Amino acid sequence: MPEATARTRSKTRKPARNMYTPLPATVEKVIDESPTIKTIAMIPDEEFSFKTGEFIELTIPGIGEAPFTPSSSPLETKRMEVTVMKTGYVTDYIHRLKKGDRVGIRGPFGRGYPLEDMYGKEILILGGGCGFAPIRSLLYNLMAEKDQFRKVTLCYGSKTPEECIYKPFINELRSVEKFEVLRSVDKPDETWEESVGVVTVLLDEIRVDIPNAVAVVCGPPIMMKFGTFKLLEMGFPENKIFLSMEKNMSCGLGKCGHCTMGKYFVCKDGPVFTYDEIKDQPDIWS
Amino acid sequence: MTKHYLISHENWDKVLNRAISKYHLYAPVIRENHQDYKLVEQEQDISHIIYNTAKPASPLKTFFLPVKENVVREPEGTSRIILGIPPCDLAGLEMLDTFYLEEPYVDPYYRDRRENTLLIGTDCFTAQEHCHCTTYGVSPAVEKYADIRLASHEGNMYLTVLSGKGEEFVREYIAGEARETDESRMAPVWEKSGQLKKELEERNSRLPGYERTGVLIRKSGEDIWEKYAADCVSCGACSSICPTCTCFLLIDRPEFEKVRSLDTCQHPAFERVAAGEDPLHSKSARFRNRYLCKYVWRPEKYNTLACTGCGRCIEACIARINKNELFVELNA
Repeated sequence: MPEATARTRSKTRKPARNMYTPLPATVEKVIDESPTIKTIAMIPDEEFSFKTGEFIELTIPGIGEAPFTPSSSPLETKRMEVTVMKTGYVTDYIHRLKKGDRVGIRGPFGRGYPLEDMYGKEILILGGGCGFAPIRSLLYNLMAEKDQFRKVTLCYGSKTPEECIYKPFINELRSVEKFEVLRSVDKPDETWEESVGVVTVLLDEIRVDIPNAVAVVCGPPIMMKFGTFKLLEMGFPENKIFLSMEKNMSCGLGKCGHCTMGKYFVCKDGPVFTYDEIKDQPDIWS
Repeated sequence: MTKHYLISHENWDKVLNRAISKYHLYAPVIRENHQDYKLVEQEQDISHIIYNTAKPASPLKTFFLPVKENVVREPEGTSRIILGIPPCDLAGLEMLDTFYLEEPYVDPYYRDRRENTLLIGTDCFTAQEHCHCTTYGVSPAVEKYADIRLASHEGNMYLTVLSGKGEEFVREYIAGEARETDESRMAPVWEKSGQLKKELEERNSRLPGYERTGVLIRKSGEDIWEKYAADCVSCGACSSICPTCTCFLLIDRPEFEKVRSLDTCQHPAFERVAAGEDPLHSKSARFRNRYLCKYVWRPEKYNTLACTGCGRCIEACIARINKNELFVELNA
């Protein structure tokens, strides 16, 4: 390796914008959504805007970063929410956050949902588990622009009624004209009055004008896989199925390589892809 | 019109001696049993520089992508000269530039180093055992991506100016000592790398070309990868030493500091997500992934070479895995 040197002949220069530097933010509130899922509401030090479906890296200083698509409305720039399932090292720390803690936000990164392409259409949204997070952000956006869309149907599945997240939001959504919500759980309890089974069972219960519709899928890999196959079986064209892919996004800039999916970097070329864009790439469901 | 200069070796050393007062000069020297770049700090070090041998042990990327660096500080802006860069590493620079200078996320640290570094490439007159640049269309002659092409021949240095940056350097440091010459005087010097090119083509005639290798990898079954990965210890030396491998890990420090550390898909858990899914869980999947990246995905996406045939990955492998044997077998 070349030898390092102590000599410096520096002429320092400011980079135009350093994408590695997080924007500090203060935790405003922590909401328990389910035994394993929490929503963290944050106030960034400066206003922060993103488009729905784009993601951020949430920095816990000295611990690490993890990628999340904000679950709050993209129309809100002073406050942001991310919904986090406790699954690993960084999310464990995120679950320990409390009001007043300092965190960092990098981004926004990637390609979000192409709202303009959805104008005039019926939108079928298939969500599972914590995959509701990006979808909620999308739904806020669709609610704000509801004149642009014919109908929005949300099919949401979770393992148990206890794990159904965003209960107040679901109630709110059910009262909005043009919006329909169907839910299913794998294991119901005595209070559950909605559908039972994996989320795809809901697709048998709905009516959708496929030639004038687009589908959005977000959830755990196994649900994304079978959800997509079911949509294809129903007759959705491959380029009308929008998938929010999850890989190990780290830098967010398409450089570090950790979120490689064949020729794509999910962080930069995605995270939202149409099925026809990625169907020939390896390991899309794992 | 391209300008060529002739300067005596003695005067060339004087040029370098003046240059080290302004630049950090790195040049290849013999270090124990191998040849690698060294920071040339004093006049007496200049005479140890070697010219026109095969590649130094370290790839050129080390100068632009340090093993570890803090990426929230301002770039340093250090002026450097890197002398003795082989054509394979210059070819690798095309990949690095395309990747790190690509809009919209131009990497400020890479750009700073690129802009402040003068590249002096040297033709290879000799090759090492695993050199196979010509198989992938790279010539052992410096054709592009350097600022100056340099060759040492019979007590003289032969320079060709290849860029505006190179021209500026020549004007400031060399013009007074050197004599401008025409292309016909360069021919006997250039002939040496031309000769080596023929030798390499002959030596590696069984090795499939770049595009062909991509096709072979794409349609290959799992068995061959398992066979060749059997002895792999996932150390990542092949990537560390590769002039075009660019992956890194971001490490968080307190106070929102971030450190970028070179990483590789050969390390376990490279692609693993928090929920546990890991497409590169098996060693053979990781091993194959590196070649898919180099021969299929990178060229498809960026239209540049992602393997320049330097052969360092073969030399560095402690398990003695030779990817060229694998490709010959795939091609059989």
